[in-house]
Amino acid sequence: MRRFGERMALAGADLTARQGEILVLLGPNGAGKTTLLRALAGRTRLDAGSIRIGGGAPDERTVRRRVGFVPQTIALWGHLPVRTNLEILGRLAGLEGPGIAAAVTDALAWSGLAERASEPVERLSGGMQRRINIAAGTLHRPDLLLLDEPAVGLDPLSRQAIHRVLEGLRDRGMGLILTTHDLVEAEALADRVAVLAGGVVRAADTIPILVGRLFGADQEVLLMLAAEPAPALRDFLRTTLFSPTNEDRIWVGRLRGGLEQLPGLRSQLIQAGADIDELRVRQPGLHGVFVELTGQVPQ
Amino acid sequence: MTLAMTLAILRAAFLLLLRDRGALLMALVVPVVFFMIFAEIFATAAGDQLQLRIAIVDEVRSDESTRLLAALTAEPAIRPVPAELTRESARDQVRRGTADVGLIIRADGENLATASGLAAPPLLLLVDPSRSVTATVLTGHLQRAYFKALPDLAVGRVAELIGTEFTTFTPDQQAEIAAGLRDLRAGAGTERPAGWTFDELVERDNVAGQNAALNNVAYYAGAVAFMFLLFAAAQSALGILDDQEAGILDRIAAGPGGIDVVVNGRFLFIVLQGLVQTCLIFGVAWLGYGVDLPGNFGPWAMISVSSAVLAAGLGLLLVTACQTRAQAQVLPTVVILIMSAIGGSMVPRFFMPHWLQQLGWATPNTWALEAYSGVFWRSEPALQLVPICFSLFGIGIAALGLSHWFGRRLVRD
Repeated sequence: MRRFGERMALAGADLTARQGEILVLLGPNGAGKTTLLRALAGRTRLDAGSIRIGGGAPDERTVRRRVGFVPQTIALWGHLPVRTNLEILGRLAGLEGPGIAAAVTDALAWSGLAERASEPVERLSGGMQRRINIAAGTLHRPDLLLLDEPAVGLDPLSRQAIHRVLEGLRDRGMGLILTTHDLVEAEALADRVAVLAGGVVRAADTIPILVGRLFGADQEVLLMLAAEPAPALRDFLRTTLFSPTNEDRIWVGRLRGGLEQLPGLRSQLIQAGADIDELRVRQPGLHGVFVELTGQVPQ
Repeated sequence: MTLAMTLAILRAAFLLLLRDRGALLMALVVPVVFFMIFAEIFATAAGDQLQLRIAIVDEVRSDESTRLLAALTAEPAIRPVPAELTRESARDQVRRGTADVGLIIRADGENLATASGLAAPPLLLLVDPSRSVTATVLTGHLQRAYFKALPDLAVGRVAELIGTEFTTFTPDQQAEIAAGLRDLRAGAGTERPAGWTFDELVERDNVAGQNAALNNVAYYAGAVAFMFLLFAAAQSALGILDDQEAGILDRIAAGPGGIDVVVNGRFLFIVLQGLVQTCLIFGVAWLGYGVDLPGNFGPWAMISVSSAVLAAGLGLLLVTACQTRAQAQVLPTVVILIMSAIGGSMVPRFFMPHWLQQLGWATPNTWALEAYSGVFWRSEPALQLVPICFSLFGIGIAALGLSHWFGRRLVRD
């Protein structure tokens, strides 16, 4: 648990991360993802509760040797060459002697930036800088790599390149915990997802299990209204298994009994006074899980 | 329309200034504080308020010398050093800076009453060349005291001059002059006009020997070096906040070294940078102006290392104590400027009123400058500099310790 003044940034998180898997912390802005990640990195003091990484507290020196941290910003010296950045950060991660050169060469190879090693970081593209940012966190071959929004602000191609890098690290046996508010990224990468809202981990598991647990055999229905619903309509929507979102005109619900039930639902909604702009039915997925658990529609 | 737009920008700039406490401090408060400090200094230095600490030795103890000293010490600007001194101890006081200037009414010179200018003058001023203005000011005060306390001697000397060079007084005239001089003596203490120059009664002796000009250069080398040590230290320490903004600090703090390696590494860098900076300034003083750096290398190195340690610790402390980069750009600048102004890096401390000179001891600038003065002017042995150097070094290390504490606060929520 962690409180900043009046605001409860982290209210309840019961999570276990494993080596060789990617655990995605998913949630809307202000859900507590970064606070949880920083607590795992030993950068945020908890008011209550504890974190154990390999049996030790995150701020213990021996534990810090086993953890890599990749901040959301490009945490590198922009004026210095890529190789120099990695050499210095490798030393700071606890590497010594020839181990540094070997780790740097390896990191440059798997990040695909060996050709650009002598260039200042600031001259690289955004995607390349992100890859080096990640590589800098893995030089000491940590058991656990913590990444805060590792692909934020990138174009789709660069994002895919980052995803390949992260999958490669997982395949080497590293455990990865990363934050994102991007559902597509989470679906592409996550072995397991932990959905946070209001500083609480609402659920954590694989996507199919979460979908099955929340929707069963139901379909996901997305209702978009042309106008804000009246109180009577709100009550009706709640009784028909619709959940409100952060946008008054958008509601998410479930359709039981197959698609043939859709016309009936539509009639019921119209009779209840709904001015329907769009009524969409789809196979439930992470989107539905997110809306169900957080009450917010992802951007 | 254009005016309205212009006024909109004016409003935005005004509101931003109001919200930026650092900018507000720099724009409105610091200039006033600076003005007050310099007004205090120069009101004293430029007017007749320059207070002089004088090491006085009366080797003659005649009626005339007693009257002269009584009139001199009655001047509000004159503060005799409260001690029974000999000529050597007075010289030592001036060399060490505990007195601004020395005054000897000497036994081996001519008599005050009968001085002819053919032998050693009766008044000997002990002058530190870096404060030669104090001798000029003291001469003025002495002259006033002389005519106030010993008008009979002054006029008698003029009469004697006229009698020997221009005309011969008759016995009656000589009797009238003698009577007038008695009256003058009886009325001593009232202002009287006089047309005789005072200079031949006074001799100046430089307590710093032959290298007066070089010592001045050494003083300013120390003053400039220490002020810029502090500025450069604060500027380099800002790199920690740059690293924090870039997330580098978070990355390193999450590693096995933690934030401590960052603070220690930055500290060492600033110390080395400071040493190079000091070497360059004193190197120029040596090669360009002949300051005897090789001859004083050991003590100089001791002071320079301890000064660099202090500057590094203080720079880091001032920066890590700030929450934002904007704060860290203002606070150290304000603190260093004020310390330098009070501590003697901008204006020699003897120009300052007594209370400001005392306040100067609260700044490391004064300590460092006194230590450099000890080396290059007073040729003090290294052992005598140990307390100051130890203090500078110790405070620097203590500031480093506090910087660690503030540094941890920077990266831990």
